[in-house]
Amino acid sequence: MRGTVQAMAPVLSVENLSIALPDGGDRPFAVENVSFEVKPNEVVCLVGESGSGKSMIAHALLSLLPKGVAVASGTVMVAGKNPVELDRQALRRLRGGDAAMIFQEPLSSLNPLKRVGKQIEEMILTHQEPTPSASEVYDRVQQLLTQVGLPNPKLLEKSYPFELSGGQRQRVMIAMAMANRPALLIADEPTTALDVTTQRQILGLIDDLRRDRGMGVLLITHDFGVVADVADRVVVLRHGKVVEQGTVEEVLRHPKADYTRELIDAVPKARLDQINRKDVHSEPLLEVIGLQKTFRVKRGFLQPPREVVAADGISLTLHEGETLAVVGESGSGKSTLGRMILRLTEPDDGAIRFNGQDLRRLRGEALRQARKQLQIVFQDPFASLDPRQKIGDAIARGPMAFGTSRAEAMEQAKKLLMRVGLSAVAADRYPHEFSGGQRQRICIARALALKPRVLIADEAVSALDVSVQAQVLALLAELRKEMKLAMVFITHDLRIAAEIADRVIVLQKGRIVEEGATADVFIAPQATYTRDLLDAIPGRNFFDQPGFANETGKIPTARMSS
Amino acid sequence: MDAVRSFLRHPSGMVGLVVLLIVVIVAIVAPVAFPVSPWEMVSAPFTPPGEDGLLLGGDTLGRDVAAGVAYGARVSLVIGIASAMAAMVIGVTIGAISGYFGGKVDLVLMRMTELFQTIPAFVLAILLVATFNPSLLTIILTIGAVSWPPLARLTRAEFLRLRNREFVEAALCQGEGTLRIVLGHILPNAISPILVVTSLTVATAILLESALSFMGLGDPNLMSWGFMIGAGRTVIRNAWWMSVFPGLAILITVLAINLFGEGLSDVLNPRVSRRRS
Repeated sequence: MRGTVQAMAPVLSVENLSIALPDGGDRPFAVENVSFEVKPNEVVCLVGESGSGKSMIAHALLSLLPKGVAVASGTVMVAGKNPVELDRQALRRLRGGDAAMIFQEPLSSLNPLKRVGKQIEEMILTHQEPTPSASEVYDRVQQLLTQVGLPNPKLLEKSYPFELSGGQRQRVMIAMAMANRPALLIADEPTTALDVTTQRQILGLIDDLRRDRGMGVLLITHDFGVVADVADRVVVLRHGKVVEQGTVEEVLRHPKADYTRELIDAVPKARLDQINRKDVHSEPLLEVIGLQKTFRVKRGFLQPPREVVAADGISLTLHEGETLAVVGESGSGKSTLGRMILRLTEPDDGAIRFNGQDLRRLRGEALRQARKQLQIVFQDPFASLDPRQKIGDAIARGPMAFGTSRAEAMEQAKKLLMRVGLSAVAADRYPHEFSGGQRQRICIARALALKPRVLIADEAVSALDVSVQAQVLALLAELRKEMKLAMVFITHDLRIAAEIADRVIVLQKGRIVEEGATADVFIAPQATYTRDLLDAIPGRNFFDQPGFANETGKIPTARMSS
Repeated sequence: MDAVRSFLRHPSGMVGLVVLLIVVIVAIVAPVAFPVSPWEMVSAPFTPPGEDGLLLGGDTLGRDVAAGVAYGARVSLVIGIASAMAAMVIGVTIGAISGYFGGKVDLVLMRMTELFQTIPAFVLAILLVATFNPSLLTIILTIGAVSWPPLARLTRAEFLRLRNREFVEAALCQGEGTLRIVLGHILPNAISPILVVTSLTVATAILLESALSFMGLGDPNLMSWGFMIGAGRTVIRNAWWMSVFPGLAILITVLAINLFGEGLSDVLNPRVSRRRS
């Protein structure tokens, strides 16, 4: 894919772009002096962590900036036009005509009340002049749906967005974007909300379409794996400034800026050579036997309820000090498994034995006592802290509920805050004063306040930036050793699973398809599904190449055969 | 504190608050400004406004309309606020139980709420007041008893939204008790819309009380706006002031409370207040 880029006029050129933020923000400019260009038939990746201003740039390109935010200086030329100077008519022709955009969340970008075929039609009718005939439009829609690889376009055209899967919706979005043969496609984190296997397909699709049509693609992402897979050139952003730009080879293999190097190092890599296998002979601490759970979703009157199997005979064991990763795509039932262990979701059948007692039989006070030893850290650090409760209270509440005095509990809370890398002063603050990574540390401190023996981490680092992710993972690894914690680490990201777990369970549709020591599962996967998942890890080929060594000199030696 | 500062910058909310404060002051100083009881006949019947030292005129029996309006403010405010509080206590309790526990409890409580909602509030209020002796307390309880369903439904919706939130589940995993979770975590996060609806309930309660008094079902010992309009309505063609001034008092007070309530809603709704700032 990294072909020679013809010396053609760029479809997008950004020169010294600065975007001013309203007064009173944390910085005066969202983006400062940013320059880059995208040539036809080229994929340029804009990489940065949250708050780096990458989405702001994308929005500025089509004059979609929110109120109060404006381009302060610099010029943007999209297909030879400057969106700032265009009148409303011309701007409309530009948006979706010369330059199309796709977003992260395809569900909220599609109108839920309109059939998808109609939405693509609308795109064509708005832009094509003279207005094509109904049959021409129909043919065009069919053609587009076929091109984006959707099965049975005749039937699919009549579907509503909610009837499609995440991947299918994103394909529909791409079909809409392609409707008027744009010269530039702007894709703002198009695969972040998707499963790895779907992500791979969508990225492949974007790349195929680019090659067929010779369009330029500006891909915004936070994932260096994605960059390694699809980009020709990379622009690394930090705090609104360009840190580094160049070809993929230059930037990823020989990063000049320290920041770029840090980001690349933070990409979780399967460092399987470091994993020592533990021989465990002791009694298991937690034992799950034949867990069953089916969710029944009521549909319309007279229709049978839709059944979703979240757990179909799941059995597992967990020993003291052991980390078990549960991996799978969305809908595989991995989160439900974690919630069932804590009895936040009631299983239909099966047993959960913890410390010799069956958790499913416990009620009231006995359950409360048992839960004390089983704690959970949730995915979204913004939703899992009470916005109206001070941090100190949030951590101290647990021990206080079990009879510790307030003063003592607060003292402990402060110690824990320091242990997870925050200052004791944080105890008097409210959650909104902290960043995502800090909040996740607070959640970890809260979970540890009760001195649990088992910690369930439900996608605990998925919502964080890579560099923060690496720090939180390191913290969890330390704490695990220190407190002899057993951990169930639920994740969709196989790279993270490989980095932290002793053993791995691969779930698909509520069933365990593969189970074993991390190294075994990653080096010699038995199930086809596991192999598919491993193949879909973004950037795998790149980061696994023997020549690739990062600063620390750790070369992921595992050659994952498939 | 941010909410207070933000409210001070809300134009219509501030107008409402200022007018409301004036009504409150009138209610407080009524005994000082009008030392003579509003039931006392102080002039000839049908004294027009401005004559005989009566600013707003006299009624059919020569009682001071201005004194009536001032004393009526006390009755209206007390009944409005107390019955809105009663409605809030009933509504929030039922809504919270219904929303938190769900299942059969929810089913029973919500059918009961619907039962109350299907009967027109005013008809039910008349029935209740007529059954018990009209007094300040029974009127407050009656208005509370017919005004709680919207609050119950709102509270239930908020509880349903919040009870499966991760911070609530985290509290559960931390071993906190049900009461602590409900009062300490869910209710504080649901309180903003409940306060807004309660403030608007005050306005409807004042209207309900006026309507009851108009029908002659008010507390016979209390001078109220509704009673004054009811008493003056038969002579409205030749003595307009007897009904118009208490009517204006109701209009202004209810309008002020609504403005205040809407301002409160804007300020407490983070999305609106952020757009404003």
